[in-house]
Amino acid sequence: MGYFERALVAAVVIGAGAGFVGALVVLRRRTFFAQALTHGTYPGAVAAAALGVSVPAGAAVASVALVAVMAGIARIRRQGAQVAAGIVLTGGFAAGALLQAMIPGLPVQAESLLVGSILTVSDADIVLAASVALISFAAVALVGKEVAFSTFDPAGFRAAGYREWPVELLVLALTAASVVSSLPAVGAILAIALIAAPAAAARLVVGSFRGVLLAAPVIGAAAGVIGVLASRALAVAAGPAIALAATAFFLLALGISKLRGLPWKRVDIPVETAEDARIA
Amino acid sequence: MSLSDALFTAFSIPFMGRALLVMLVLAVVAGVVGVLVNLRGLEFISDGLTHAVFPGLAIGLVLGGTAGLVPGATIAALAGALALTWLDRAGITPDAAIAIVLTATFSVGVIVVSKSDDYAGALEALLFGRVLTIPPDEVAPLVVVSLIALAATALTLKQQLFRAFDARGSRASGNSALALDLVLNGAIALVVVAAASTIGTLLVLALLIVPGAAARLATRRLWWLFPVAALFAAVGSWLGLAAGFALSVGAGFDLPAGATIVGVFVVGYAVVLAASWLVQRARARRNPDTRPPSGGAARPAVAPAVGALGEGR
Repeated sequence: MGYFERALVAAVVIGAGAGFVGALVVLRRRTFFAQALTHGTYPGAVAAAALGVSVPAGAAVASVALVAVMAGIARIRRQGAQVAAGIVLTGGFAAGALLQAMIPGLPVQAESLLVGSILTVSDADIVLAASVALISFAAVALVGKEVAFSTFDPAGFRAAGYREWPVELLVLALTAASVVSSLPAVGAILAIALIAAPAAAARLVVGSFRGVLLAAPVIGAAAGVIGVLASRALAVAAGPAIALAATAFFLLALGISKLRGLPWKRVDIPVETAEDARIA
Repeated sequence: MSLSDALFTAFSIPFMGRALLVMLVLAVVAGVVGVLVNLRGLEFISDGLTHAVFPGLAIGLVLGGTAGLVPGATIAALAGALALTWLDRAGITPDAAIAIVLTATFSVGVIVVSKSDDYAGALEALLFGRVLTIPPDEVAPLVVVSLIALAATALTLKQQLFRAFDARGSRASGNSALALDLVLNGAIALVVVAAASTIGTLLVLALLIVPGAAARLATRRLWWLFPVAALFAAVGSWLGLAAGFALSVGAGFDLPAGATIVGVFVVGYAVVLAASWLVQRARARRNPDTRPPSGGAARPAVAPAVGALGEGR
């Protein structure tokens, strides 16, 4: 398998996995949280590269620490979840930049961590992304009903006697895992594109929870493949090309949903005479 | 090197003095605008704007060299402010829409930069800033851009606060919500422009978010929020520049100045957070049966829930 075929496989696997988890993220409105995770894992990746351990492992450790910090700040009065996400996001980025400056001679380029390099993914990266995707499919297959309930009716979910934190924790863990596994392909900055855009596009054209869960991975995988092919054809960087392909799908879906809203079918205005009314 | 060398004498060097001047102006403006960002819950929109500015910087750099940075960024930022104001009002899953806008614009920027010759160097300068290498003739445009943002906010400050705390009342008494949103998003965009070409697009968000959040912890009085936030930002920038200088010259680490400033900001926020937690505990112990009075400045905006972790508190 050449590097280009491997990149295509990686694009399909990562696009599908991120699209699937992204459906949960978008429906539960955790996009800014996911964004903070993608940026905050940067110092973890730099530290892992410096220590010589695998980059996804470092990013995973960093994301666990970040989730704890965000949960802590969000609980403080007059702060809240958005402030927590913003502070973790910028703090993480600054820490990454400082680490990189302090450790000379890093084997990894900053740019490849930030915007990704799908043409150099390893088999291990693909296996990791595939297992994250499979685990999230399995988790949603097992407890999908509870996830849907808590997503669309949190108050009813609590009233029915369920506790919210297990579902929240599950979605957070899946989000973090998906962010970490899509880092090699699209990098810390653009990972949010593969999470948000396919799901937002699916949501515009599909009406049901199950439909969004099925459509988002397909759109994500398609965006990945189109991005990689476009990056070869037009000689541009692959990560941005994938992100733009995902955006194009969103714009397409936006157009379709707007067109669908137009009154296409002409319906005859019912004319009912007094005679008709008496017979009926 | 002694402490006073790093804190005071260092700024007599021309490039350090210029950096301090620009950072102080930025800090005051960003502190004031940041309080409104905090009260309105516009953190994610600000993040969207920081990314939307990036292609403007990149195109400006390609077309006009470093002199093209500020004009390019201004055009991109104002376009981004218009787009995000519209998206916010359209109300279709606003947070996902912001995420899509910001990655799309960012991708355009990366592609533009990647077409230029010095890809890695240019990308890093745009992402992490070049506060220490601002040429003297760029100081004036940056200060002017910041002051326009400050003036726009100051002139509409009363209406902005009315809208933040009582959106319907503000509309009913004849204030245009669209105009207020456009002014505020435009002011944020201008701060982003000025800050992006100094501390870099990725770290601008810290200037906008951290001082406002720290001020909310430090005081409950509404009008004190603005001076406290500006002071926090100013002191943070000064200490950040000094720390970067001391570590780079004294200890031999080659630290990027922008990242050092943001690091100092985050550390400062942690200190304020710990202090306010201790004060609250001490107060609760002194009179255990009275709940702490609810804050004079509660976070009013109906912001999209980003994490349910802190809701309902």
